[in-house]
Amino acid sequence: MAAVQATAAPGRPRRRTRGGAFAILFAPVSLLLVLFLVPMLLMFQVSTLVDPFDPSSGSTFQHFANVLTDPLNRTIAITTFLIATTAMVLMLAIAIPLASFMVFRAGRWELPLLLALVVADELNPVVRIWAWRMILGRQGIVNWLLQTTGITDAPVEWLIFTPFAVVVVLSAGYLTYTTIPIYAAMKAIDPALFEASVDLGAGWWTRTRKILIPLAAPGIFVAMILVYVPMLTDFVSPDLVAGTGSTMMGQRVTQLILEGADWGNGSALTFVLLVATILLSVVAYRLARLNRIQT
Amino acid sequence: VAEATRPAGVAIAAPPVAVRVRRGASIGARALFILAVLAILFGPLVILVLFSFNDSTILSFPWAGFTTRWYRQAFEDPQLRTALWNSIVVSFAVAPLCLVIGTLAAFGLTRFRFRGRGAVAGLVGAPLVLPWLVIGIAALLAYRHRWVDLDLGLGTVIATQLICTFPLVTAIVAAQLFRFDRLQEEAAIDLGCSRLQVLRYVILPHIAPAVAAGAIFAFTWSFNNFEISFFTIGFQQTFPIWVYSTVRDSEHLPVVNAISTVISIVQVLLIWGALKLMRARGGASAPGVDVGPVRGAA
Repeated sequence: MAAVQATAAPGRPRRRTRGGAFAILFAPVSLLLVLFLVPMLLMFQVSTLVDPFDPSSGSTFQHFANVLTDPLNRTIAITTFLIATTAMVLMLAIAIPLASFMVFRAGRWELPLLLALVVADELNPVVRIWAWRMILGRQGIVNWLLQTTGITDAPVEWLIFTPFAVVVVLSAGYLTYTTIPIYAAMKAIDPALFEASVDLGAGWWTRTRKILIPLAAPGIFVAMILVYVPMLTDFVSPDLVAGTGSTMMGQRVTQLILEGADWGNGSALTFVLLVATILLSVVAYRLARLNRIQT
Repeated sequence: VAEATRPAGVAIAAPPVAVRVRRGASIGARALFILAVLAILFGPLVILVLFSFNDSTILSFPWAGFTTRWYRQAFEDPQLRTALWNSIVVSFAVAPLCLVIGTLAAFGLTRFRFRGRGAVAGLVGAPLVLPWLVIGIAALLAYRHRWVDLDLGLGTVIATQLICTFPLVTAIVAAQLFRFDRLQEEAAIDLGCSRLQVLRYVILPHIAPAVAAGAIFAFTWSFNNFEISFFTIGFQQTFPIWVYSTVRDSEHLPVVNAISTVISIVQVLLIWGALKLMRARGGASAPGVDVGPVRGAA
């Protein structure tokens, strides 16, 4: 607490300030170093060991060569990319109109909708995925509705245990984190811009394309960092609703580490995933920054 | 669903400026869109509640009759009880720790200019961006590494959840501190406040809603966390892990619905009440609190 008090007084001399910053940041930074950075380094070390369980066994890049050339990993990477990208596009198709409705149209329903998004996100993810299984299942509510209304005679089989189910479950699960950054970005748009564009004869599509999307772009890129990266590594969703044919990267890594006890290849693949997600995040972050400066 | 659409007390945001725009979509289509979104958001919860009272082990429509026996079974299940207790222990340890560490980091990053500030900010933000799967696996490999060799259990879960969750508190509190006009502090000092009084009467009231929001999010993030717990807990279970293994074994699925209903309702009520409370206390700053976590993470 003493450290917090020191911050209260403004305009401290420089020397004191540096000491204060050190005192106040010591606990958070050392926790992150010990519990976050060091494990990452140890994981890298494990992935380069000849015997992953013995640190003195000498180093090799064989595990990286294994995971990068394994055709199964390539198939899984492509499946993962396709499923996550489809879900991302679907979510943006819902989130952009939803956020725009909340900011410009909802009026007194704006805050209740925002609260609904936040509250819905509190449902336990594993429980939510399980509930979707009851909705999409062979005897689930969707099939029941389809059959009682006479749209189909037999249960639709592709609703569950298919890539379709994974896309639905992922999109529903991450909708809150897609919508809120876009909502925050749109909140900063001056509605007068739309009035001006209408006066100048712009139609609905022109307004969306030339004003709404460019000005909401930083929020869209933030949403992509927050949502696309976790979707690429999600393993509970595919585990519970995907069929055997559409294994995703998160499942592959989990199987290697936990079920196969294959620490060498498992840690190498996890490290590859780590590098990929860092690259993706940096690119999306740069794009978000770039757009913020331009607008 | 009704809960979600009820107008929530004070309308804080100014009504949007009337835009003289003729939209292609009619009001009906728009209402349908919002209803569909609400169905996606709350449909799973409704299904859980419905099936938790359904008197059949087969989870299918139409209904087989009303029963409360799944609830009784849920509360008598010793494995479930242990898992729930573990979850409660973990989140009651993680949330307060996150609150202290996260607020410290927020103060340090917003109130000081020093060399390496960018690096520290990046380090604090990294656990929010990097996937929990990767953090969890790295933690597992590190704890079981021959040089470290820790026994896995609730302690390792708490430690790993802590570093994944406190940056969220930092993001929320820092967002609020950024908006805070430092002239208010200087004015208080000019008027003769001690540093302690400035903290107590100027800064704390201002960031209190953000700290409260951070506490709630930290608690639910911890309680709901699956990935981190799954990799770092060893042979024990938390509630999400219990759900995961139970729905795979498919022995008593309705019990999952019953206990999930209870927990979800408690969670929804908790966060609903807390958000309302914060809006009542925090006044105009509350809407910013809602978008805080995500905005701060950027």
